[in-house]
Amino acid sequence: MIIKLAAGTVRRRRGAFAGTFLTAFLAVALIAGSGLLLFSVLTAGPGADRFAAADAVVAGDRAVVLTTEQDKGDGEVKVKTKSERLTGAPALPAELVTAVAGTPGVATAVPDAAFPVAVDLGGVPVRAPDRAAVVAHGWASAALTPYELTQGAPPGPGGVVLDAALADGLRIGEAVRVTTRTGARDLRLVGVAAPATAEGVPGQAAVFVADAQVGELSGLAGPTAVGVRVAPGADAAAVVAGLQQRIGGAAAVHTGADKVTADLPGALPDYIGAISIFGFVLGITGFAAVFVLTGTVSLAIRQRLRELALLRTAGATPRQLRRMLSLEIAIVTLVAAAPALPVGVVVAHLVAARFRDLGAVPPQFTVALNVIVLIAAVVVGLLVTLLSTAVAAHRAVRIAPTQALRETVTASGGGRVLRVVVAAVLVAGAVAVLGLVPLGGVYGMGMGFVSSALLLCAVAALGPLAVGAVTAVVSRVVALSSVLGRIAAVMTRAESRRVVGVAIPLTLMFAINATMLIDGEILTRVTADQQAARTASATVRVAATNAPGLPLDVAGQVCELPAVTGSAATIGTRVIVDLGGKPEDYPAQGLQVSGEQALDLGVTAGSLDDLGRDGPDQATVAVSGPLAEERGWKIGDRPDFWLADGTRTPLTVVAVFENWRGFGDLVLPAELAARHDPRGLVGALYLRGEPGVAEAVHAEWPALAATDARDPRGGTADVQNQQAAWELMVVISIGFTAIAVVNTFAIATSARRSEFAGLRLIGATAPQLHRLLGLEALVTVAVALVLGCLITGGVVGTFSVAQDGQWRLFADPLRYLAMIGGVGFLGLVAAAVPARLVVRRRSLPGQA
Amino acid sequence: MVLVQQSRSAPPRDVVVLAEVSKSYPGRAAVRALDRVTVGFASGSFTAVMGPSGSGKSTLLHCAAGLDRPSEGRVLLAGQDISALREPKLTVVRRAHVGFVFQSFNLVDALSVWDNVLLPQRLAGKRPDEAWAREVLARVGLAGREKARPGELSGGQQQRVALARALAGRPEVIFGDEPTGALDLSTGREVLALLRRFVDEFGATVVMVTHDPAAAAWADRVVFLADGRLAGDLISPTAAQVSTRMVELTR
Repeated sequence: MIIKLAAGTVRRRRGAFAGTFLTAFLAVALIAGSGLLLFSVLTAGPGADRFAAADAVVAGDRAVVLTTEQDKGDGEVKVKTKSERLTGAPALPAELVTAVAGTPGVATAVPDAAFPVAVDLGGVPVRAPDRAAVVAHGWASAALTPYELTQGAPPGPGGVVLDAALADGLRIGEAVRVTTRTGARDLRLVGVAAPATAEGVPGQAAVFVADAQVGELSGLAGPTAVGVRVAPGADAAAVVAGLQQRIGGAAAVHTGADKVTADLPGALPDYIGAISIFGFVLGITGFAAVFVLTGTVSLAIRQRLRELALLRTAGATPRQLRRMLSLEIAIVTLVAAAPALPVGVVVAHLVAARFRDLGAVPPQFTVALNVIVLIAAVVVGLLVTLLSTAVAAHRAVRIAPTQALRETVTASGGGRVLRVVVAAVLVAGAVAVLGLVPLGGVYGMGMGFVSSALLLCAVAALGPLAVGAVTAVVSRVVALSSVLGRIAAVMTRAESRRVVGVAIPLTLMFAINATMLIDGEILTRVTADQQAARTASATVRVAATNAPGLPLDVAGQVCELPAVTGSAATIGTRVIVDLGGKPEDYPAQGLQVSGEQALDLGVTAGSLDDLGRDGPDQATVAVSGPLAEERGWKIGDRPDFWLADGTRTPLTVVAVFENWRGFGDLVLPAELAARHDPRGLVGALYLRGEPGVAEAVHAEWPALAATDARDPRGGTADVQNQQAAWELMVVISIGFTAIAVVNTFAIATSARRSEFAGLRLIGATAPQLHRLLGLEALVTVAVALVLGCLITGGVVGTFSVAQDGQWRLFADPLRYLAMIGGVGFLGLVAAAVPARLVVRRRSLPGQA
Repeated sequence: MVLVQQSRSAPPRDVVVLAEVSKSYPGRAAVRALDRVTVGFASGSFTAVMGPSGSGKSTLLHCAAGLDRPSEGRVLLAGQDISALREPKLTVVRRAHVGFVFQSFNLVDALSVWDNVLLPQRLAGKRPDEAWAREVLARVGLAGREKARPGELSGGQQQRVALARALAGRPEVIFGDEPTGALDLSTGREVLALLRRFVDEFGATVVMVTHDPAAAAWADRVVFLADGRLAGDLISPTAAQVSTRMVELTR
């Protein structure tokens, strides 16, 4: 009976459920889409197998793994293992290659030294399509794939063979320039090679040099991997076991799909950034979807109180009503999910395509369809609607049957204490997040979002209490305008629950999006400020136009130009730090300075002069303020670090510096960085000197560009990609929350039909009603914005203080006003349109 | 104190006149809700409109009150032809001359009793006559309840607020659409007695649609409708007479 009633209600009153349907549709579509994206990056393939022709590959560690044991007191020991991927690969000792070759059952052992190179022809970079990594090897490695010559001959000393993907437009016999960390060399193009396998090696373009020249070009002490072919007839598993036993813990044997991990990390697609972006996307859309859906469902139920009361008079028990409401919402959600899933898949594909273009995900990234993710999206949607129905229905179904006979139907308020307690807990949570988590670090943005989400939930939990208080103030201002203003003020004060229902989505829209945008702007601004402070004393910034950077020895020559009075060469690299059992990857720079100061890192303790002076191993480091504080490091401490190639080494802290944003948290001696970073090129060389220094550099090295050191475009492309991806996300988030706002206004307005008819009958004209509703919307929007600004102010202010100690409400007042104006305008339009549809200008009251 | 500023001694004139009024609804062209109805409602009189379900009594009221526009014919309200007027001008005319009491009280829950009573005048942009509003509220027995909210009042009290609101603007005519429909017997009688008193003591004009012969008996005159046409009337009716006529009409 209840099932029939529920199904019948949904079928007959499609209009009443349209709002819930639309919200459920959007929520499921967005959760499905972002779920698919996260699933796809998490399960993304490891990349192309360059070792297809090898049976096994021996390689050193490609990640730093830390294991901590924690005695939980009751005799139980909890073992935690955390790992962080390396960006480089360690060279294997020569004796290891001999040991591998000598293992019984091994037919051949091919050492493979993989190292990134940059190729240019007369200063013009030779790039592979789809941003594929350009990686060089000795010609012997060609057999591991295998690569086969399509033109020309194998490379001898001074010769080079290029991947067909690179050689497009080049002629055999031409001289190309190959830049590595050991220097730039002109090599003669002697041949073109291509993978002989069907799938090829997408994402990588190979450069082959003479095996004898590998050491000289790469600067590697040995191969980064050894490819193994098992002798015919030998038991592959036994050979692998024998290999592993023989080499011990020095390296690992990789077989099957795992062989890929033995490749150079930089040659493999990197999904780390994408995982955090898509994780964030899922977090934000998930939160917004749940929040909006809850609001819509409870609004829809409150508007049916009268009907519920009537059913109570007809003899329905609260239990039956609850079942009816749950069934209705389940039907609506499931019907909405059906079209939502394909839309979610399309959204995932569109976002993936856009992110590929932006470079925020590797070019070979594709969206994987997964039924479980799609089902999970529907289940989440269903759970949210059922739960919020249960909460909203809890009180509603207890409505006394006699209420049905009365003109005024009001749900009992109540739960004041509970509301305050829940809100207090949420606010305490937000304060804890803001106060305890270092917002200046990598988690700053995420924690900013979490705390504004918590504060939003607190406002929603307080509901009429919070909104009522602000409404009381705002409405009195509106009341001053006119008679209609007074009526609107009284109405919004009396109907604070309706104001809550409509204002909260607007508050959500403003708080979430403004927090994200302003936090991003503040970071950009603070980074730009620090960049300016760093480079204030430099005259020009020199960068290579033919390669990602210039070799350290070339940088040294540039610094010796007579016009140069001071220099600072920086080599971008990564360093892994042990954060109490958790290895964490930090951006770092190798630094080499000469003469007058050309780069001001804002040293607060110690001195950069001591960098690299600690004996021939140069085992010194300068640390950013936040990192030094977090780890408690003082000048003279000697903590362990892992350099880019996985070398574990203690470094003496010689300085603590402030201007680390957009630069790095750790500064090493340049030679140390160059020795251990696979790329090891000077990305930026800051020079101080007489006017004309730029011309002098360019005249000597045409491939080097000297630009004004204060040019803000000096940031890395990586950061810009992430920023673009971030903005795309905000656009999605704004779109969704805007639809939620429009939807809520439509639901709230259409439910007031009979109230409007009553007002028409006692003499209100349609334009008067439009004005009245506009004024009510003005109060609602103003309340929403006040609450939104309060939340944003708290979160952004704390975030900003954490960045540079300066309290900010916004980064740019005009943009802040534009955000407020935009959200406010949307709210007013969203209120005006349904008002005009429900109360038509020429409609007669008798027909209402 | 008089409700409408006119001499009591002058011969009664019709405040509302319907001349050859027909009403058909789009899509239901075959059925005429009103079929060439001509009727007038005299100033200072209490008229009940009766008829079986679907006889067109509500349509008659809506057309007479300017809540709906007739398909044909003319409607004169306080001497003004309103059949040609369009919204929102129609509302302005209606607001100036007409008061309403409905089965559902149509009070604004958010507003106090006092604000509800003055709302039509405020919407009209007039300065409300507060002394008169206070007197009307006292007459309907709600003195001192100005600050109450509709939700705190009983159904009968709410209908009396609606009645006070209808009277507060000194309308030429008050239209009632089953004003006692949602009330119990004794409360309904109180409301009818109030309407009667306003006609007798203040010279108010009341036109009321009802299906209850006992309610109709409070009127000076009962107009009967059947199938959209006039079906005679009764002057100074008794409940018994009205019942008999109704039974004949339904047969």
